[in-house]
Amino acid sequence: MAADAPKHRTSGWRRILHGRGIWPAVPALVFLFVFLVLPMATLLAFGFVTIDRGRVVDGTFTLENLWKALNDDLVWRLMWRSFWVAALSSVFTLFLAYPVAYLFAESRGLWRALVLVAVVSPLLTSALVRAYAWLVILGGRRGILNQTLISLGVVDQPLRLLNTDWAVLIGMTQIHLPFMILPLLAVLAERDRRLEEASLNLGASRTGTFFRVVVPMSVPAIFAGLALVFAVSYTNFIVPQLLGGGAYATLAVQVYEQTIVVLDWTRGAVLATILLSTCFAFVLAIVAAGNRLARWNEAAA
Amino acid sequence: MSHIRLEDIEKSFGSVRVLDRCTLAVEKGTVATLLGPSGCGKTTLLRALAGFVDPDAGRVVVGGKDITDLPPNRRQVGYVFQSYALFPHLDVAGNVAYGLKVRRMGRAEIETRVRRALDLVSLSAFADRYPARLSGGQQQRVAIARAMVLEPEVLLLDEPFNALDAQLRLSMQVELRKLIGRLGVTSIFVTHDQQEAMTLSDRVAVMRAGRIEQFGPPLEIYDRPRTAYVASFIGRANVLRARGRGGRIEQVPEIALQSPDGDVSVVVRPENLALWDDAPGPGWRGRVAFASPQGAQIEYEIDIGAADPLRVLVPRKVGEAPRAAGAAVRAVPVDPAACVVLAEAADGG
Repeated sequence: MAADAPKHRTSGWRRILHGRGIWPAVPALVFLFVFLVLPMATLLAFGFVTIDRGRVVDGTFTLENLWKALNDDLVWRLMWRSFWVAALSSVFTLFLAYPVAYLFAESRGLWRALVLVAVVSPLLTSALVRAYAWLVILGGRRGILNQTLISLGVVDQPLRLLNTDWAVLIGMTQIHLPFMILPLLAVLAERDRRLEEASLNLGASRTGTFFRVVVPMSVPAIFAGLALVFAVSYTNFIVPQLLGGGAYATLAVQVYEQTIVVLDWTRGAVLATILLSTCFAFVLAIVAAGNRLARWNEAAA
Repeated sequence: MSHIRLEDIEKSFGSVRVLDRCTLAVEKGTVATLLGPSGCGKTTLLRALAGFVDPDAGRVVVGGKDITDLPPNRRQVGYVFQSYALFPHLDVAGNVAYGLKVRRMGRAEIETRVRRALDLVSLSAFADRYPARLSGGQQQRVAIARAMVLEPEVLLLDEPFNALDAQLRLSMQVELRKLIGRLGVTSIFVTHDQQEAMTLSDRVAVMRAGRIEQFGPPLEIYDRPRTAYVASFIGRANVLRARGRGGRIEQVPEIALQSPDGDVSVVVRPENLALWDDAPGPGWRGRVAFASPQGAQIEYEIDIGAADPLRVLVPRKVGEAPRAAGAAVRAVPVDPAACVVLAEAADGG
């Protein structure tokens, strides 16, 4: 059949005008290259050259700074904390997001719109503002949470919430919740409900159907959400700084401080390189795990 | 005693009455078909049997047990969905094993049963394929194996051939009919295809607007339709307006009439009509509006002054040319006993 099809010879211009190949993506790619890849490469490059009195010394390329950082115990400790904070908050968002997304999928009309607004509206405020809000809720003796707990008689001494791992985790989880809910929303709302009827018909209970059919079918969305939340949590420096306190550092916080406060751009750039490449590796690992669990999805594609 | 009994099932969605006092009894081991156009409620009735739809009124009885209030997962009713609803995240064996795993059956037991079920539908070679990698016919067989592996009392099939192309459909119909005969499971099909209903079933229930118009063996429904709707839904039929007088039909006195004098309808199949070239006598007079020669037979549309033309299918002799358009003819039933008189007056003819 393919042999009988008339051969279309299209000129380059026609290909562009008809939006064939990669041409439609070219403006976006140019924009990304000029405003993202170039500046980022420039910034990261500072870690691999010798800077003398604010000037790059020509023709010097060195891996010495990177080597030093990799041999620094502190860097590994910071990376470990960044990792488990991001990993835990990704898992927490999953458990909080799933019921919300499910509620959205099960509701109709106005209720559905309300759930969507509730999910999306936090994205309209900046992460900084939301981190400050948690400062007010969790903060010290006067914090809303402590005051409530004391007046209810649950505790008699204010709990130390702020400047702990828990404060950072709570903040990250709440702030990044939409990134987990949104991919789940789409998949759960569009899902084929006859599969659940088929499961019931084959004797599974409603709960059994949920865990045997609904959850496995949403594995691609779960891992998309996990990858997103992990990436933004791993690289977030505002939340650890505000809710973790001055002494609380993660790799991302360290990049910020080296670059903005200490003005050691070399170390900042090297740490940023480590942060970026490890983040990339972790995200790839999450995606690979998701693909492995959802091998059936490739068959369907 | 009937294996499946539906008693006065009623269901409304909002203000729309989808099922209106549907009553049906299916004997053990027989195949019944719910036949009707889309929106007539046939699928809803099947879903009520499976427990996916809660009837507003009426009872569902299977094997003498009232299961009206039983949730779908507690009914021993197999269901084959319209596009099979195979679990895309499980391979063929996983799909078939699903119901057994839910029942917490032993590993070895599951394995033998799955193998037996896949053998039954000759899909053993495809056990580790995902449904997305199967053809429509193979998917259908997986769906059947998945239902049958649980040895249900009843098998329900919602338009199981809809997703197949025409060629495959016919051979799968025959295959499935044989398989069901071998297993002896009481089955109910849903279809909008009257040919499929005739091929598959021992009993056909013709549905219209939420009601069952007629329930009986397919040939009986074809030969003795109880309403004009049933007559024209099963096969092709001319539903003609006629007058009854003194126990006879005025136009064709050979057709006997049980009902009192007045307007009636006469159902005549196209193949039960012969054409005469305007000799005086009984029958319906008109002019040839259109003739389509089909080799062994010729189909005529005769304009008899009614809304719908009269369809006549006559055998053709070698060398015979069809009558020209406009020719005056008289259509007479070949076998008056095969004509059905309905008390309701036809709308058009």
